[in-house]
Amino acid sequence: MDLIPVANAEAVVAGARAGDPAALEALYRAFEAPVYNLARRICRTAEDAEDVLQETFFEVCRSIGHFRQEGSLWGWIRTIAASKALMRLRRNRYRDTDELAEDAPAPGLRRDETALRMDLEAALERLPEVSRAVVWLHDVEGYTHEEIALMMGRTTSFSKSQLARAHTRLRRWLGEEVAR
Amino acid sequence: MTAHLTLEQLLALREPGAEPGAAAAREHLDACPGCQAELDAVHQRVARLRALPALRPARDAWPAVTARIRRERRGRRVRLLGAAGLALAASLALVVTIRHDVAHPASLSATEQAIDTQKQHSAALEATIRQYDPDARPLDGRTARIAEELEDRIAGLDRELEAAELLQAQTDREARRLQLWRERVGLLDALVDVHVTRASNVGL
Ligand SMILES: [Zn+2]
Repeated sequence: MDLIPVANAEAVVAGARAGDPAALEALYRAFEAPVYNLARRICRTAEDAEDVLQETFFEVCRSIGHFRQEGSLWGWIRTIAASKALMRLRRNRYRDTDELAEDAPAPGLRRDETALRMDLEAALERLPEVSRAVVWLHDVEGYTHEEIALMMGRTTSFSKSQLARAHTRLRRWLGEEVAR
Repeated sequence: MTAHLTLEQLLALREPGAEPGAAAAREHLDACPGCQAELDAVHQRVARLRALPALRPARDAWPAVTARIRRERRGRRVRLLGAAGLALAASLALVVTIRHDVAHPASLSATEQAIDTQKQHSAALEATIRQYDPDARPLDGRTARIAEELEDRIAGLDRELEAAELLQAQTDREARRLQLWRERVGLLDALVDVHVTRASNVGL
């Protein structure tokens, strides 16, 4: 079942397959926001995410004929978007430096919800590219390590270690280390 | 008590299916409040990540998507037309050469030489545009519209060039072709500018 419902999904897909511009635009309007959000969480800049949004729907319009009705429409579009975003990461070869040199927030400060969210946004932004992509795809979008490994052309143990890497940094930067 | 679980082991406990060592890890977890707290922290962090507000694009990308689809379709059409046009030009050239052999057995006219020069410019500019690989890199909406307009005008000129080949009087035909080839070079030049500007903006 799709998380994002499209009113009259079957008719929209049939129209899109036939090349009906209104149906293609309806698909775009239905999935524009989640595709952009996914791209923006993986890509370094908003410009890159906008390019991925454009590339994703260009691909969707081109290959809607290959989409099988019994699958999830959002699942299909999301995988196209994730692949395009990962491709862009690879192409741009952004920094992947390991800066665990920390500045954890001062302890004892009371932080409200907004401050906590800002901290999380900032920490996420600060993660090395690949770790951020993995933590987002695995923990938020719900892809398995096997699926991520396939999309990235890496091994599942690579995906697992990148996830641990992301959590180690988030935990430290957010001052969430537990004394054990 | 065995050693505390690593973050990697804790993360693995969330995976479906038994991973190697999962039983021992779970046994430790059940008996260790510290590791339970750490796993709780993981779950909370994930819940907070999922609760982050969705980021929205600043621009509507749909016009750029449709412009790109149209460009791709037109690209296919122009290439097809190009192949057909070339075949037509070749057959006409044969007729013209035969006619020339009868009328002017010797050299090319000055106009024809000028046309050849424009054709060479044209080919060089087209090669430059191909280097920027317009289909592989997305153009923003405004640039895409400018590129599209220039491509439309070039396609129009190509149709006029084909029509010009059919003019009867040789001098009229050559003068018209020279004029059209010059316009074509001007448009291609502008199109190269569009791609160069875009490429330098994204730091190619
Ligand atoms: Zn423990």
